[in-house]
Amino acid sequence: MDFTSFLSYCLAGISVGSIYALIAIGYTMVYGILRLINFAHGDVFMMSAYFMIFAMGVMPWYLSMIVVIIATIVLGVLIEKAAYKPLRTAPRMSIMISAIGVSYFLQNFATYLFSALPKAYPSIPVLNKTIKFGEVSTSLVTFITPILTIIAVFILMFIIKKTKVGMAMRAVSKDFETAQLMGIKINDVISITFVIGCFLAALGSILYFTPRPSVYPLVGSLPGLKCFIAAVFGGIGSIPGAVVGGFLIGLSETFIKAAGYSEFSDVFTFIILVIVLMFRPTGLFGEKMSEKV
Amino acid sequence: MSNKTKNLCSLALALVIVGFIACSYYMTDKTSMIRTVLQLGAIYALAACSMNLLNGVTGLFSLGQAGFMAVGAYVFAVFTIPVSKKAGVYYLYGVADWLKNIELSPFIAMILGGLVAAFLAYLIGIPVLRLKSDYFAIATLGFAEIVRILVASSLFNKITNGSLGLNSIPKFTKVFGLPSYFTPFIVVAICITIIMLVVRSTYGRAFKAIREDEIAAEAMGINLAKHKRMSFIISSFFAGVSGALLVQYLGATTPTTFPIAMTYNILLIVVIGGMGSMTGSIISAFLVTAAKEWWLRFLDVEHYIGGFHIPLMRTGFRMVVFSVILMIVVLFWRRGIMGNKEFSWDGIYNFFTGKNKKKKAKAEAAEGGALNE
Amino acid sequence: MSKENVLRLSDVTMQFGGVVALNNLNLEVNKGEIIGLIGPNGAGKTTAFNAITGVYPPTNGRVEMNGEVIAENFPKGKMKGMYKGQNEGKYTKSVMLTPDKITKRGIARTFQNIRLFKELSVFENVLIAKHMHYKANLATATLMINAKEEKRMREETMELLTLLGLEKNKDDVSTSLPYGKQRHLEIARALATKPTLLLLDEPAAGMNPQESDDLMHFVSKIRDDFDLSILTIEHHMQFVMGISERIYVLDYGTLIAEGTPSEIQNNPRVIEAYLGVDD
Repeated sequence: MDFTSFLSYCLAGISVGSIYALIAIGYTMVYGILRLINFAHGDVFMMSAYFMIFAMGVMPWYLSMIVVIIATIVLGVLIEKAAYKPLRTAPRMSIMISAIGVSYFLQNFATYLFSALPKAYPSIPVLNKTIKFGEVSTSLVTFITPILTIIAVFILMFIIKKTKVGMAMRAVSKDFETAQLMGIKINDVISITFVIGCFLAALGSILYFTPRPSVYPLVGSLPGLKCFIAAVFGGIGSIPGAVVGGFLIGLSETFIKAAGYSEFSDVFTFIILVIVLMFRPTGLFGEKMSEKV
Repeated sequence: MSNKTKNLCSLALALVIVGFIACSYYMTDKTSMIRTVLQLGAIYALAACSMNLLNGVTGLFSLGQAGFMAVGAYVFAVFTIPVSKKAGVYYLYGVADWLKNIELSPFIAMILGGLVAAFLAYLIGIPVLRLKSDYFAIATLGFAEIVRILVASSLFNKITNGSLGLNSIPKFTKVFGLPSYFTPFIVVAICITIIMLVVRSTYGRAFKAIREDEIAAEAMGINLAKHKRMSFIISSFFAGVSGALLVQYLGATTPTTFPIAMTYNILLIVVIGGMGSMTGSIISAFLVTAAKEWWLRFLDVEHYIGGFHIPLMRTGFRMVVFSVILMIVVLFWRRGIMGNKEFSWDGIYNFFTGKNKKKKAKAEAAEGGALNE
Repeated sequence: MSKENVLRLSDVTMQFGGVVALNNLNLEVNKGEIIGLIGPNGAGKTTAFNAITGVYPPTNGRVEMNGEVIAENFPKGKMKGMYKGQNEGKYTKSVMLTPDKITKRGIARTFQNIRLFKELSVFENVLIAKHMHYKANLATATLMINAKEEKRMREETMELLTLLGLEKNKDDVSTSLPYGKQRHLEIARALATKPTLLLLDEPAAGMNPQESDDLMHFVSKIRDDFDLSILTIEHHMQFVMGISERIYVLDYGTLIAEGTPSEIQNNPRVIEAYLGVDD
C-alpha cells in the first residue's frame, strides 16, 4: 500500500467513522437517559434517506435538507411518545421489545410505501464535487463530513456542559427518580434527547447516502447495529466515547476492506465488541455501574 | 377439580388435537392452507419455545435465535443432500472432498444440527454470558449476523454454497410408519415436551430464580454461570432442531432465509404468547402463523368492490398491519395471552367460575376454539 | 471451655473508589451464638454482610468459616496506590468464593430490602433454595427419575412453611404477602439452604413492638432447633439487646465497641455515635 492510497483510505475511514459517530451519539444519549437500546434508531436513519428522496423531487437541496431534518426529528419524537413513553414504568425488557417492534414496523412500513427495491438517492452536485489534495482526490462530502461532525459534537458538548437543559440531561442520566423529585421535567428532557439524536441521525443520513447510489428498507439495520457497537465500544452514555468508538470502527472497517477482507469486516466489528466487553465491560470511557445489594 | 377430572380433560384435549391434525391430513388436499399453517405453526412453536426458555424463563434476553436456527438448518442441509444430487447443487463452486460421499439419515442429521448449535452456544457462551442484559442482547444479535455472513462467505463456498444457498434438501421422511406429513408434529411434540419437563424440573425453577433476582438466586446457592450456560445450550439445541425442521419444510435455504427479522418474528410469537409460558408460545405460534400466512393474506391483494378501489391494500400492507398488532400487544397487553403461567385446568376452571362469570365465559369460549388448534 | 469458632473476620477493609466503607473489621461468631451488629445508617453493616457472603471481594483482609478461608484479598492494581486502610502487606493471597459456593459451605442470608423471587409462589421461593441439595442432574430431573427426591424436597419445604406460619399462603405470589410475612418468607428461604450460620439483615424492620417481640422468640427458637449460629443486623434496640449474646457496634465503617448488651448500653462511645439518631 503506497502512501497516497493509505491517505485516501484514512480519509475514507475517518469520513465513514464520523457518520457512525453521529448516529452513535443518538444511541448513547438515549441509552444514558432511558437505559434503552433504541433499536429503531437505524431505521429512523433509513426513513430520513427516503424523506430526502421525496424532498429533492420538489425543492432545491438546501431546502430539502432543512425539511428532512425537521421530518426526521418529528418522526423520532413521535416514536418516543407513542412507543416508549407509555412503558416508562414497565420492566426494561418490555421497552426493548417495543423498540424492536418499532424497528420492525418502520422496515415493513418502508417496504409497503417504497417497495423493497432499491431507490436511487438523489445526487447533490455541490457535495459530490471532486477535490484534490496533492495526489489524493476525493469528493467534497468525504472531506466535509468529519468537519461537520466535529462542529456538531462541540456544539452538543457545549449544550450538555453549559446550558440548563444539558444539566438536566446529566442529572436524569445519573439518577432518573431523584431527578424527577428535584422537579426536572423528565418528559421534556427525554424529548430533547430524541430531538438531538434525530437531528444528528438526519445529518448522518444525508452525509452517508450522498456518495452512495441507493436506499432500500433494510439499509439502516446493519449501520444502526454497528453504530450501537461504536457507542458500546466508547462506553455507553459517554458522548466523546461514542465519537471515538465511531472513528475507530469506521477506520478499522475501511482498512479491513482495503486489505481484501471486505466480506468479513462486519464479523470483525462484532468480534471487537465481544472482546472489548470482556475486558472493559463499560467500554473505553464508560462509568462503572453496579447494583446495590 | 379433582385430579381424575383433570386427567380426563387432558386426555380429551390431546385427542381433540391429534384428531384435528389427522383430519387436516385426511380431509384436505396438498395445497390446503390448513396444512401449511399447521406444519409451519408447529415448527415456529418449537422455535418460540426454545427462545422462551432463554428469554422468558431464564430472563436472558437473547436475539441470536435466527443464528442458531441457521446453524441447525445448514448442518441438516449439508449432511442430507443426496450424494447423487450434490454435483447439481454445488455446480458453481464444487463440493468439498470430505463431504462428497456423506449422506446421513434425516433424524441423525436433525440431532446433529441441534448438537452443533448447542456446541456453538457453549463456545460463545463463555464470553457472552458474562455480559449484562442489554450487551448480551447485542452480542447474540451480532452472533446471528456473523453466522449469516460466514454462511454466505466465499470461505465456505464448497460447503454452504455461498449466497446461492442449498436446495434438493430432503423433505420430511416417514416416522413410525405414519405419512411424512405427521413427522414435524411428532418431532415438535417430543421436543416441546422435553422443554416443558426441563422448565418443571428443579433446574427450571433455578432458571426462574435467575430471572427474578440474580443476586438472591446466587445467595440461595444457585451457580449463575453454570445455570445460564445450561439454559443457553438447551435453548440453542432446540433452536437448531427447529431450523432443521424449517429447512425440511422449505426444501431449500439461502443465507437470507434466516435474517434478523426471523428472530424478531419469533420474539413476537413469544411476546404475544406471554414471556415464560410455553403453552402461550404454542398457541401464539399457531395464531401468528395462521394470521400471517392465511387470514391476513387478503391485505396484500388489491381489491375492488363494484369498480371502487379499496385504498391502502397492496403488497406489503399485511406486514404493516402485522407490526401494528405487535405494537398494540407490546404497549397495551404486555403479558400476552398467558402471562407467565402455563395452561392448567384449574386456571380454566377458575376462569369460568370466577368473577364476571358470564361475560368472561363467552370470551373464553371464543378463545377455546383457537386453543384447540 | 473453648468455644468452637464458626466465622472469623480478620482486618476486613472494603474500599469503593476513595470511600472506605468498612475499616479493619475484626469479628467472630462462635457456634450457637446470636451476635448483633449495630450502628447508625451507613455505618457499613450491610457491607460487612456482603463481604462475608462473597457479593464483593474485600479490599484487604480475610474471612474464614470453620477455620477455612472463604475470602482473602490485598490491595492490588489500581487500588494499590489508593488504599487508605491499615494492615497493608499482612495478607498476600487472593481467594474469592462466589456467593453460591459460600452458601454451599453453610452461610445463608436475608436481605435488607427484601429480595424474593417476586413472581413466583411462596412455595416455589423456598423450594428453589433447596435446588443445591438436589441429588439429580439435568437428565434425571427432566425425566422425573428423581420423583422420590422431588417429593422429599417438597415435604421439607412444606415443613419449613408450616414452621414460619406460611402454610396457608403457599400458593400465593410472594409479593402479595404482607410485609411482615415477606420477611418470614426470606427467613424460610434462607433456612431451606440448610445453613450453619444465618445472617439476618434487619429482620425486624417495619415491625411493631409485638411483632418484633415474637420474632425475637422465633429467632432463638430456630437457633436451637436448627443448631445455628446467627449474626443479625438490627436497628430495633429492644430486639437486638434482647436477643444477642454479644454485640458489635460500627460507626463510619470502624468498629467502635464490642461486648455484652449491658456493656454496650453503657459504653460512652456508642452513646455518642447514636446521639441525635432517632431509632
